[in-house]
Amino acid sequence: MRIAVCMKAVVEPQSRIELDGDGNLRREQLRYEVNEYDLYAVEEAIRLVDSNDGEVTVITLGTEGAVQGLRKGLAMGAADAIHIDCDPYALDPSGVAALLAAALREGAYDLVLAGVESDDLGGAQVGVLLAEELGYAATTLVVGTSAPSEGSMEVRRELEAGEHSTVEIQLPAVLTIQSGINEPRYPSLKGIMAAKRKELVEKTPADLGFAELPLPRVAALGLELPPPRELARMLEGSAEETAAELVRILREEERAL
Amino acid sequence: MSRSIWFVAEHQDGQLHRGAAELAAAARAVGDETVAVVCSAPGGTVAQQVAPFADRVLLVEDPSLEPYTAGIWAQAVVALAKEHAPAAILLPHAPLGRDLGPVLAARLEAGLMTDCIALEWDEGLVGKRSVLRRKLVARERVTTSIAVATCQRAAFSAVAAGEPGTVETVEPSIDAEAARTRFVAMERAEMGEENITEADVVVAGGRGLGDAEKFGVVQDLAAALGGVMGASRPVVDQGWVAHDRQIGSSGITVRPKLYFALGISGAVQHVVGMRESDVIVAINKDPQAPIFEYAHYGIADDLFKVVPALLAELES
Repeated sequence: MRIAVCMKAVVEPQSRIELDGDGNLRREQLRYEVNEYDLYAVEEAIRLVDSNDGEVTVITLGTEGAVQGLRKGLAMGAADAIHIDCDPYALDPSGVAALLAAALREGAYDLVLAGVESDDLGGAQVGVLLAEELGYAATTLVVGTSAPSEGSMEVRRELEAGEHSTVEIQLPAVLTIQSGINEPRYPSLKGIMAAKRKELVEKTPADLGFAELPLPRVAALGLELPPPRELARMLEGSAEETAAELVRILREEERAL
Repeated sequence: MSRSIWFVAEHQDGQLHRGAAELAAAARAVGDETVAVVCSAPGGTVAQQVAPFADRVLLVEDPSLEPYTAGIWAQAVVALAKEHAPAAILLPHAPLGRDLGPVLAARLEAGLMTDCIALEWDEGLVGKRSVLRRKLVARERVTTSIAVATCQRAAFSAVAAGEPGTVETVEPSIDAEAARTRFVAMERAEMGEENITEADVVVAGGRGLGDAEKFGVVQDLAAALGGVMGASRPVVDQGWVAHDRQIGSSGITVRPKLYFALGISGAVQHVVGMRESDVIVAINKDPQAPIFEYAHYGIADDLFKVVPALLAELES
């Protein structure tokens, strides 16, 4: 079976987030890392091909951090990689899905996996939009997969409050992968070395038939700082002192004990 | 022309989800007319349950609509939206909306804003959403003629029930054969002896505990306070604690009288499940942890020192 996994370079949580005088994000200060959810998707794809034969392709759209993410996917065990070199901030999710679909259509993949959402923008929509572009079925929040048989597979979906549903989905399909589905492997040294020799195809939007980028359906109006929240009353002192003060407050002031 | 805002009514086992009244509030804030769309099997009462929160209810009944699958619900809602052209369709940012929202958006060629915390109408549907781990709020506007948006749970205050709106049953436009997903089974949560949503005191632990063995201190403090143990998602993903203990956006929402967050950084996914608690205490080594923005009382110290001191103090 042929599986593609969508990856995204996301803003590292420790990056300095600041707005300039015009309210624009100071992008030069940002650092990037692989979206954590995507690592679960890569791991799940590798496990599926290990037990059912096949190959995994990793794909990303972006500039900074994009190729490093693909190298990590290759080092984990993907066979090849596709990099769409395009400024992700110039697209909305429907545009990202359109470009990814253009790059994946030829590959006739049985399965496309993506993380449930990105850790930085949290849109949680590219996976399903991609499925619609490709004419594939889709299921979200997947926490378990089973071996495909006769053109379909059963997947376990995470609902809320500990509930789950099992859904049978016809292939080809897109699944968005929730954290906790597996334990993503660390690339081995051998994997990292092997990754350097694997094929990494570079594509531009023009290569994919987009002379101009798709028009956004959602326009960015601006960024603002969230309203300041009142900080907790911080208790100071040794552990014994803070513990005693907290118990006194909870008993006497809050009457919560 | 009056602006009609639709919301998709979420329901399970014949019961309307209480989040429907939140979506109704969001719809009312931006439109002239609030319309609830109910997709259900024939013979249910969900339409009657949601009617007090909407001006009108559009009811599509077909046996294939329950249990839910995105494919068939999408067929029903897309056909209705193409016929009636609402200004916007709202869904919860929950398993339903995450699954169905992008399908509706794609088939209606509509822009989709997800996880909205505020909505307004300004030459189109404008939404606010938290980005970059809540460090910034992005304002966006859908530029297509129909807008689709998913709303964060509890971000909108539920409207009170009013005069029930009229219920119109509409002919389903469904081809169940064409659906490529099929519901197989539902697994209920296995709730332990203790009911975490009813508890007066919840003591939750996070990644800061370090490993599964050290989770004992969370249990000890919960026991000393007569409360129940909870956990954040990373801890559950690691398998330190059972799934039914997970508090947050993909787990349980709790509103106890007293909530302790031990070694929890305060990621938005966790905070949405506990921020309504009456008194919140956070203990975390990192004084910059966002959890202190939600806590009423904070101790920035080693929890393995503070919790034993607390246990000693509670005994005295």
